[in-house]
Amino acid sequence: MTEILSLFAVWLRGTPVSEAIRTSTWLWPVCEILHFFGLSLLIGVAGFFDLRLLGFMKRVPISAAWTLMPWAKAGFGLAALTGVVFFIGAPDQYIDNPAFYGKVFFLIVANLNAVYFEAMYRRQVEARQLDAGGSSTLKVIAIVSIVSWFFVIYWGRMLPFIGSAF
Amino acid sequence: MMELLAALENSGFGVWLRESPSIWAYPAVLTLHTLGLGVLAGGNAVLDLRLLGWGRAIPLAPLEKLFPVMWIGFWVNAISGVALFVGDATTKGTTWVFMTKLAIIVVGVALLMVLRRTVYGRGETGAVETPASRVLAAASLVLWFLAIVTGRYMAYV
Repeated sequence: MTEILSLFAVWLRGTPVSEAIRTSTWLWPVCEILHFFGLSLLIGVAGFFDLRLLGFMKRVPISAAWTLMPWAKAGFGLAALTGVVFFIGAPDQYIDNPAFYGKVFFLIVANLNAVYFEAMYRRQVEARQLDAGGSSTLKVIAIVSIVSWFFVIYWGRMLPFIGSAF
Repeated sequence: MMELLAALENSGFGVWLRESPSIWAYPAVLTLHTLGLGVLAGGNAVLDLRLLGWGRAIPLAPLEKLFPVMWIGFWVNAISGVALFVGDATTKGTTWVFMTKLAIIVVGVALLMVLRRTVYGRGETGAVETPASRVLAAASLVLWFLAIVTGRYMAYV
């Protein structure tokens, strides 16, 4: 498995797209700015919704807080897209980096949690049936969201410090 | 000035932050700085988006509770930022990028205070939306974005 991944990384690094990403002087820094901007939107908007699920700002109906969620998704999309650019540009720096797998693990947890919330509760939220909030399952979902996004950031920051640095 | 910056950088704390192999040194402080950024710029984005017309169903008054959250983000970043500065004082203290970043943050914080007064300054009568609050929200969003731009640029000086 590790051998297949290394071969994949070598192949990817050799592609013209990868080389173009590495040799451009501005693309990487611009993508970093957008990555952090996306991170802020995601943490701000999703964190706001999570706090509301946990019982803060009770005068905000949950259905109303939910209407900002497209901004969290846009932030995630921006961070994911620029993250893919980093990966294509320097796959070898991620593929044997334990921090990368830590980040991917918590990205999967955070996204499954969000998908579970949408599947189970979106309809009720939009029908304003959950506006008062309260259920302990919703609070667990909010905590899983906060904790898993925290660790996505933590492992993302560890990328240059654990494993192969850049 | 240069001697002061060098003394800071070579202080016990400065050397520890920069050279300790512990993940509790530089990596942990940098993680805190990223978290604080997310909380401050992100919490601010929620308020700004609402003032600019998105999520209109959200009542404005309870959003005043975002301010203490933003202040937590701000202080986490002020403290972790001072630590990061001490570890790299001769570089950061002499580049226009850092001075620009500081200026943006000063203006950004002042703007947040004015924004709070404008929207929530009426006390019990509740929050008010005015053309001024929309302009302030837009300016605030741009300023914290520029704080991120200059912050990221610091990695290249």
